[in-house]
Amino acid sequence: MRRMFFNKKQRRSKEPMDIDITSLLDVLVILLVFLLKSYNASDLKLNLVKDLVVPKSDARILGHHAVIVQVDTNKKLYLNNEEIGLVSSNQEQETLLAALKELRAENQTREPAAKDEKKINLVFDQDIPYKVMKSIMHTSAMAGYTEFKLIVQGNY
Amino acid sequence: MRRKMKKPPKLNLIPILDAIFIFIFFLLMSAQFIDIYEIGSDAPITSTSTQEMKKPPLNLTLKLNNNKIVVTTGLDENIYKEYTMSELAKLNEGLMELKKQNPKENSAIFKPASNFKYEKIVKVIDVTREINKKNVFITAVDKNNKKYPTKKLFDQIIFETMD
Repeated sequence: MRRMFFNKKQRRSKEPMDIDITSLLDVLVILLVFLLKSYNASDLKLNLVKDLVVPKSDARILGHHAVIVQVDTNKKLYLNNEEIGLVSSNQEQETLLAALKELRAENQTREPAAKDEKKINLVFDQDIPYKVMKSIMHTSAMAGYTEFKLIVQGNY
Repeated sequence: MRRKMKKPPKLNLIPILDAIFIFIFFLLMSAQFIDIYEIGSDAPITSTSTQEMKKPPLNLTLKLNNNKIVVTTGLDENIYKEYTMSELAKLNEGLMELKKQNPKENSAIFKPASNFKYEKIVKVIDVTREINKKNVFITAVDKNNKKYPTKKLFDQIIFETMD
């Protein structure tokens, strides 16, 4: 009797397992549709810093890769995601100007074609007053970045 | 003799599953969950040209202060109209009229007050750049004097960056 039982068990375990993957496929298709809908062809990869809320806008022009300057709600300044200090009360931001000039020189040595790069992505918190915006734009223009791209988020 | 019941053939879904997995990884890696867009603005340029212009420029200027938007035109900055921040739709209509009168013009100068918030500036930019109403177009003229329908108003935004 005991032997018979073991024989039966052995036989059952030899059968190939049949997994029903239909439900998994359903989930994957839903995920695929969601990701395709949220796919953005822009080459701008933006990592928003903490305490920064980008204003909403009706603009529909995709952002492009360029130098990124961010100013959060506490007026902290970031250049390409690295904190470089606080926004000063002066019209010209000395720290930013020096950092931008350094970055331009670096880019030029690495990529001579970037010599005439004028684009700069400006990411401001929505509560930033114009005085701060103006000083950042003025400083960027002083460093040779005269094409300002104000970064906003889609308005839905 | 009893006929054997034919089993329906099973589809091999494994290759398609592999492809979907790869696609999902690619999409996940490139996904950005906030839709990021840009508003272009150039730094003001001063011209030293002494060439006489056939028609005086529109010089459309929007002065933003507290809750007020003052639209001025011409080199003397004559006041065209005044709006409040709650009248953005009216501002859009006013700018539409200006665009109809000056179809070749496409730039607007922004002069916000020092304490004017960025969020409000973006709202004003939105109504300055495009017609907000659906299915409403105006006729613009390109460089070769060709007429074409457009929703664009004054899409070249220039900020006054110097005091």
